[in-house]
Amino acid sequence: MSESNIDQKRWLISQSELEAWLDGIANARTLIAPRQVSGIMLYRSVEKSDEIAWYGQTSSSAQASFPVMSVKEIFFPPTERLFTIQKTGQEIRLEETFPDWETVVFGVRPCDARGVKLLDALFLDTNPIDSFYARRRRNTTLIGLACTEMRPTCFCTSVGGAPDNARDMDIMLYETDGGYIAEAVTEKGRFLIPGGEWKVTTITPQQTTFNKQFLVPEKREWPKHFNDAYWNKISERCLSCRACAYVCPTCRCFAIRDEMIRPGEFERIRCWDSCAGENYRRVAGGHQPRAEKSERLRNRFYCKFFYYSEQYGLGAASACTGCGRCIEVCPAGVDITEVLMDLEKPV
Amino acid sequence: MNKNPMLPYLGNLVEVRDLAADIKLFRVELLNGGGEAFQTFQPGQFAFVSAFGLGEAPFGIANASGRGPAIDFAVARLGSVTTGLHELGKGDIVGVRGPLGNWFPMKKFKGKNLIVLGGGIGGAPLRPVIQHVLDHRFDYGHLTILWAARHPSLLVFTDEYDEWRAAPDTDLHLTVDTPDKKWDHNVGLITQLLEKVSPSPENIVTITCGPPIMIHFVTKLLQEKMGFAPKNNYVTLEARMHCGMGKCGRCNLGEKLICVDGPVFNMEEVGGLLETFL
Repeated sequence: MSESNIDQKRWLISQSELEAWLDGIANARTLIAPRQVSGIMLYRSVEKSDEIAWYGQTSSSAQASFPVMSVKEIFFPPTERLFTIQKTGQEIRLEETFPDWETVVFGVRPCDARGVKLLDALFLDTNPIDSFYARRRRNTTLIGLACTEMRPTCFCTSVGGAPDNARDMDIMLYETDGGYIAEAVTEKGRFLIPGGEWKVTTITPQQTTFNKQFLVPEKREWPKHFNDAYWNKISERCLSCRACAYVCPTCRCFAIRDEMIRPGEFERIRCWDSCAGENYRRVAGGHQPRAEKSERLRNRFYCKFFYYSEQYGLGAASACTGCGRCIEVCPAGVDITEVLMDLEKPV
Repeated sequence: MNKNPMLPYLGNLVEVRDLAADIKLFRVELLNGGGEAFQTFQPGQFAFVSAFGLGEAPFGIANASGRGPAIDFAVARLGSVTTGLHELGKGDIVGVRGPLGNWFPMKKFKGKNLIVLGGGIGGAPLRPVIQHVLDHRFDYGHLTILWAARHPSLLVFTDEYDEWRAAPDTDLHLTVDTPDKKWDHNVGLITQLLEKVSPSPENIVTITCGPPIMIHFVTKLLQEKMGFAPKNNYVTLEARMHCGMGKCGRCNLGEKLICVDGPVFNMEEVGGLLETFL
């Protein structure tokens, strides 16, 4: 491969070039980026780049600029209509509509992009392919922005990630003196980069300092802890509120149900659910195999570090991306890093 | 399966009849291409049935695919979807999504004696096994059916007992926990009946479906007292699945998903899992 081919993967752009590019994208497609919504940082659609919450500009710290929800909701929304149902007398008519618009997500965190990759294993790589997720995924380009620091609750480096990891993005941006280094990671990403307008660079992006790393129990270590009394102890605090699952980039459990739109017209929806919920596993007739809170909380940890990779052929990989959101959102102080460190302690 | 796997086929209810107290049999003929999808279903597979406007729920398919173009479901009235289904009658439209899950390895069972143990509506997913054996009677050895319910009014497929009894090399044993005045069969738990029948563990497989507690004690008895190898004890497990295709995550039993890795398991597989089904 010649030097020039490699060079064409990286460009040096200024803040104003970046903004002009994003404005152009927002004109032609749906642009989603971190934005303040009623004081909460969320990934939401923006009309112009000046609505975006930039690190160090609208937000004073890495903590404040971190979206409360992961990008999961862009591909797998909290509530999704699967089809509508029209009932006229004995007649039934079902109608489907699929999401088919081009979307670009800007400011994706490496932990969140990892989360999408992990969800791919289930929705795309395991048959049958999910019609809704697949369309959104196909029509969406991920533009990552390397985190410049790790927040107190971040632990991506302990679960195989890094604050500047580009592997799961289409395009990756790194802050540098005088602007950003843009890197095309996939063909899809390369397609979005304006040819000729940007200055090609050979500068290697500076690595973000990794300030925190601890040992996470390996997958094969998990089965022996299944019946530990520890799960009773740690779950005493759990309120079964399910918030941890909703903010998690990889929790994907859902429920399907019918809702009435107006008499004679209904929709079948799927909506997020969580194994922490009390009735989650209850069957008709009342049998409840996970009646204890400890069993439910344990299931969440085992899903992350054992079950999910078993079920979807991910080998030794964990389904936790180290984003730290579950730690921040838990009203009772259940801390996943504390659990992981406790399991590593000799009994 | 439909292009969108969440979209059910429409089905015409050609027959609805009482099967037991608060349990009805729904016979569905599929429309819009569903018949093709259901041409090859196997004993032990399940499908989702929709009461449109109320939702859908999973049910074991209650007939063998060789028996006509319709599909049978036995539905106990327990929640909102099943109550909605119970309000439907002949000519109404339901949704059917499937066939889903694995099945009893009927080919592997050829030449073996079979014991089928059904508890209450748990008998429904076992009816296709019985029908399959009766329809291929000389491929299998002795068939023993142990059929149980809490009360005589809760026994399912009572009008088919004569057919089962009349089949060559086939026995039917009935038991209830609480008899009524007319009852002249066994009284007691299915485990007591099993001890009484006392089958030899040679060249035999057992197939059990019922409440989890029944599956637990039946398989325990077979293994601990009667000398059956766990791998010869087949069970079909239930869970409140929502997708049935390994996506929604609701039916995991430890590292397995009941909807795609099951619902049929042998007890050797079940015993190797982190979580118990009880």
